[in-house]
Order: sequence, then structure tokens, then C-alpha cells
Amino acid sequence: MAGMFAGPQEMMGYSFNTAPTSASEPRQHSFYPYTDNGGSTLGISGADFTIMAGDTRSTSGYSINSRHVPKLFLIGGEGPKNKGARIVLSVVGFAADGDALKEKLDKEVKMYKYQHGKPMTVSACAQRLSHILYNKRFFPYYVHAILGGIDEEGKGALYSYDPVGSYEREQCRAAGAASSLIMPFLDNQVNFKNHHIPGSGEGHDLKPVVATPLPKETVIELVRDAFTSAVERHIEVGDGLQMMILTKDGVEEQLLPLKKD
Amino acid sequence: MGGFDFSNHSRNAALHAQGFPLPTATSTGTTIVGCLFDGGVVIAADTRATSGPIVADKNCEKLHFITPQIWCAGAGTAADTEFTTSLISSNLELHSLSTGRQPRVVTCMTMLKQHLFRYQGHIGAYLVVAGCDPTGAHLFTVHAHGSTDKLPYVTMGSGSLAAMSVFETAWKGNMTRQGAVDLCSEAIKAGIFNDLGSGSNVDVCIITPEKATLLRNHITPNEREKKMRDYRFKKGTTAVLNQKIITRADISKYVTVHELDDGTPVAAEKMDVDT
Amino acid sequence: MQPTGMLGEDGIHVDMNHLKKGEVNLGTSIMAINFKDGVILGADSRTTTGAYIANRVTDKLTQVSDTIWCCRSGSAADTQAVADIVQHHLSMYAVTNDEQPTTQTAAAIFQDLCYDNKDQLSAGIIIAGYDHRHGGQVYSLPLGGSLHKQSYAIGGSGSTYIYGYCDSYWKENMTEEGGIAFVKGALSEAIKWDGSSGGVIRMVVLTAKGAVRHLYLPDQAYEGPGKQPKAV
Repeated sequence: MAGMFAGPQEMMGYSFNTAPTSASEPRQHSFYPYTDNGGSTLGISGADFTIMAGDTRSTSGYSINSRHVPKLFLIGGEGPKNKGARIVLSVVGFAADGDALKEKLDKEVKMYKYQHGKPMTVSACAQRLSHILYNKRFFPYYVHAILGGIDEEGKGALYSYDPVGSYEREQCRAAGAASSLIMPFLDNQVNFKNHHIPGSGEGHDLKPVVATPLPKETVIELVRDAFTSAVERHIEVGDGLQMMILTKDGVEEQLLPLKKD
Repeated sequence: MGGFDFSNHSRNAALHAQGFPLPTATSTGTTIVGCLFDGGVVIAADTRATSGPIVADKNCEKLHFITPQIWCAGAGTAADTEFTTSLISSNLELHSLSTGRQPRVVTCMTMLKQHLFRYQGHIGAYLVVAGCDPTGAHLFTVHAHGSTDKLPYVTMGSGSLAAMSVFETAWKGNMTRQGAVDLCSEAIKAGIFNDLGSGSNVDVCIITPEKATLLRNHITPNEREKKMRDYRFKKGTTAVLNQKIITRADISKYVTVHELDDGTPVAAEKMDVDT
Repeated sequence: MQPTGMLGEDGIHVDMNHLKKGEVNLGTSIMAINFKDGVILGADSRTTTGAYIANRVTDKLTQVSDTIWCCRSGSAADTQAVADIVQHHLSMYAVTNDEQPTTQTAAAIFQDLCYDNKDQLSAGIIIAGYDHRHGGQVYSLPLGGSLHKQSYAIGGSGSTYIYGYCDSYWKENMTEEGGIAFVKGALSEAIKWDGSSGGVIRMVVLTAKGAVRHLYLPDQAYEGPGKQPKAV
């Protein structure tokens, strides 16, 4: 019986480095300037609209900081409420960096309008955001940003970014804590990945469903289902769902409750 | 002889030193509570099990049977609480058979603490032990390192602070049965809504000298709303790239095949599945 | 544990602040004194896990035989385990020798366990008892496993604040009232200054007449209720 509880040193069969630890040895403590505030965002662009969404929970560790911290921001509107804005930025990750990024982009889009006398296009705003992020290449904004708007042709536009400014225009994108849960769902339901037309062939010849732009109502339903499902399986997602629907007529905002556990 | 098998220890330590991460255990990042009342004791738990930030089980059972009159709420590593309580449950039954006496809560608590102390905290079981025996109603906490406390109201797990705040504001001595059930439920709800490690439903177990009553899903404050869309796929949506047919004759070489009398499907154990 | 892990350059240093992660700690102020008719043990009632108070009414005064008690400090798990083992040894001693063990015997058993397992334990214990051969006795058993017979002993993280108090106010052969006032005065200072100590003050007065518990609550400025009925 005694042998069974023998310490590890008696049964070391392999050689590997175990650094001796001692309380008298100096230990380095470091300041880590980032916090993960959890939450998730997503954006889907349609033929003539873009929908952006995010939950409103802010967390750190196992605690809830607040049940209502928006992750979606109007960019470049008029006055404190950003009236008439036509671009929406969503940020998820480190909320303080997200706020700083939003402020900076908003300021620059406003300055552009004052200096040039015309609103910034979404594509220009998208490129500017990329530069803002890359400007902090060695002390990045710790966020995954998604930018939504309507392009010059009236089509829904959606750009997604990594923390240091690499960006891409996409049909849909999920970001944040539950992105790995939501993104496969979006691939399947928006881009019809792994969907085949029943009876259109045998084996490899079975024809894949060709993705066609979805109507706005369908996309809203998909977004709501994506979030209510993410809430079920991810602890950092919940409390409220903030949605912004961008069309040629402007931005409509919706707030819906989510589960609070 | 029973016990743990350490034969993989040095291999795993070597792998870990080379940078392989250790497997993550399912932890019941939990709220569990207990409260004595006039004539018995109540324990309660939430029903969320997590692994990291992912919900592993939305409706798991954290109230464990020890003896008909002793129940245990478990927090910490799910496997450890499950195996530790069932081991002590077995040993306590053998003990009561050999002594011819009803098992006592202190005995249960002592067996748990000695088992956990022996493993120096490596068995990550944090338990609330409660029950009734000939000496009265008892309530204990047992920590993974083997320390115990005896108190009129207790909380444990990641939601213990939220739950304790309810007890510290609303607890009074000489509670009634219903008062204790309600207070424990409120404490668990505080954990469910304020601690991310806890969630879903409230399980309660009331133990009196006469009998123990398990109220599974006593409160369900987090039911999922209906999905907006239907996600059933049309038959034939998935491409079949190849197929192999195994006949009954083939499979009977390896397993025994029983013919069912009539065509009626056999009732299997029901599972909670989202539709 | 690597053998070098616990040793300092002098080869004898024991890591005093070693507690396993998440372990329950008896932050603690404890003491025991001799007085005219026996001994008095005293302790605060706070146990902590990190900054969280896991128990605010802990009983750190533990009986190990009829008239021998101990004050526990350090790891709750370790000190409970050690006290349980000593209690077992002493009850076996009482049966086999048909005689109650002396305080010295109890202290020696405590020392055996704490010295032999010093690299695995964080337990600082004060043993105090009364036997008819030696009267009241107080033993201090700090972390390394050395044993010291003293006229009074203080221990735990809060004790550092009351060395001066005890040195100034200590008198040999105090009365029971004097002894209780001394212990209460010292522990309330320790509680006041040490963040890891707090809650109520518990005492046990051991004399030829047996053990009597005392309780002093912070909401009564540690003045009462005092002597507890036998049943407690």
C-alpha cells in the first residue's frame, strides 16, 4: 500500500527539466494590460442591407461587470446620438480598447466629413480602420472588429478585422467568445455550406446548393437563433441582444432580452 | 486492491514538460448551499456543468446520494465529486452493515476528509454534507485538502460568494422547512444569475429524520425560448460518398442478434434534446 | 517535492508561507497561558481562502483528551488531521495504561507528527492541558517541529502584533479573571491589527474542575456573553 502513494521522484523514468521552485527565490510579477470581457458579435450582409448584432454582457472571469454594455457603435453621425450615421462598428474582446478604437474611428470619420464636405464611403472607412489598427502593431487594440454599412452601389457591405488590421470584405462573420459556435452555423445557413440539392446526383456529383442573398426577415431570425443558441452553451454570452439593421434609409436599432444565467 | 493507478504519471509529466497541455477536466463551476432548520436540513445546487467557458451539461445533478438519510452536494472537478461520494457511499453501507447501526453524518464527513486529506488536494472535491441520524440533523462542508467546517448555513463553489450574501442578509435561527427551502433556492438563484460558472435550474434535497425528499429541478428560471426557424434538413441534403452494407449474418459473427417479437420499437431511455 | 524546494541557503530554512493553492488557511491569532489554577486557551474565529472568509465562527480550540486541548494555526486541513491523529493516540493511551495522558505526552505525540512530516505540513500548534501530576502546562509547537514548554505561548499571523502587549502585561500566577482579561486584551489587539484574524474570541479555561468554554462577541465589544453552559 505504501508504494502506491510514493512521491513522484521515486518513479521518475524520464529525464526532463523541473526547475526547482522555492519561496526564497525571486519571483517576477508582471502587469498584463489586457482583460477579456467576453461576449460575441456577428454581422451578415444582404443584397441591400447589412445586419450587425452583439450581446450586451460584459464579463471578467466568472463575474458579470454589467448586463448592458453595447458592443455596436454608430460611426460618424451628427451630435452625441450620432444621428444619421450610416456605418456601424462592432468590437469584441477587450472593452476598453474597443471603446478607444470606436472613439478614434468616429472622430476621424467626422473630421473627414467636416474637411471634405461629404460623408466617408464604407470602403474608405474600412481602410482607415485597418490603418488605425496597424498603427498599434506592437501594442495592439485587443479586439476583433467588424464594420458594416451600405456600399456605393447600394449593396450591403461587411468588413472583418484581426487585432492588427488585416481585413477582408465578407458575406458574414461571427467574432468573440462564441464565434466558434456561431460561425459554422452561419456557414451552413447563410452560405449553404454542406447543403446539397436532394436527388441531384450520386455521391460527388450531388449538386451543392448555390448561395443566394437571403431576405432581411430571414437573416434577423437567423441572428436571433444564433444568439439564443450561443447563450445556451457559452457562459460569457447573455443578458441582451443588440441588433442594428442598416439599409439605404438609415440604421434601425433593436434591443431584445437574452437569458441572464 | 483498489486505489488509483499512477503508472502514467511520469510519462505524462515528461509530456507536459515538453509542452503538451494537460487534459482539462469537466468542472462543475458551481453554486451549492446547505441550511439547517427545525427538524432537518436542506441542501441545494444549480445544474450547470462547464469545461472552460463552454457549458458541458445544462441540467446535471450535483446532489449525490450517500445513504437514504445522508446526501451530498458537490463542487469542483465533476469526476472527483462523483467518484468520491460513491466510494464513501459504498463504504458507509458496509460500515452500517457491520455495525448494525444507522450511518451517522459525522462518520460520513470523517471518511470523506480522511480520503481527501490522503490525496493532498489532488482530488478536487468540494462537498456540502448533510443528513439526519440518531444524533440529529447535521450540516458540514469538506474542502478538497481535507478541512471541514460545521455551520448552520454553508455555501461552496464559484457561486459561493453570491449565495453567501443571501444567507448573510436573510438567514435567521429556528427556520421552518419551507423557510429553509426558499432561502436555499434564493441563494442558488443568486449564484445562477451572478456567477458565470453556475446556471440553469435549482435542485433541492430536504432531509428529515423520517425521510429525504429530492426536488429535482425545483425551480426552472432559465427555460429556452422557442427557436424562430426550423432547422430540419431535407432528406438527401448530405452527399453520400460511399456506403457499406453489413448484413445481419455478418454482424452475428461478433455479437448475438436478438429478433424482437413484433415490430414495435423498444422504449429507450429518454434524453433531453433541443428540437 | 524536490528536496531543494523547501531549503534555503542555510539548509534549514522551512518555507513558512507555503500553502497549496486554494487551501483553507487559519489566518489566526491563538494563545495559551498558565494561571494560578490551570491554563487558559484563546483563539479568534476567522478562516480564510485568499481574501474570502470561509468561516467567521470557527472553533480553533480542539480537544484531544479529557483535559488536554490545542490551538490550531496554519492549514486547516493539516491541523485538523494532526489533531485527529493525536486524539486517537491519546484515547488508545488512556485505555492501554488505564490512566489519562499528561500534557507532556500529548505534546510529544504532536511533535512526533509535526517534526517527521515537517516538509508536508503547515501547522503551528499550541498545546495546553491540565493533569494532576503537573497541574497546568503550555507547550508551543511552531512550524519546524521544535517543542517549547512556556509559561505562555502566542501563535498565528496575528501574534506578531501582540509580542509587546504580552511582554508588558504578563504576570506569573494570575487569577482566573486576570488571565481571561490578559488573553482577551491580547487577542482583541491581534484581531484589530491583523486582517487575517477576526470574528469572535473563544476561550477554554482548564482547571482541576475540568474545562469551561468562554465566548466573547465583537458586537458586545468582546465583553460578553462570557462563560458558556456545559453543553456547548
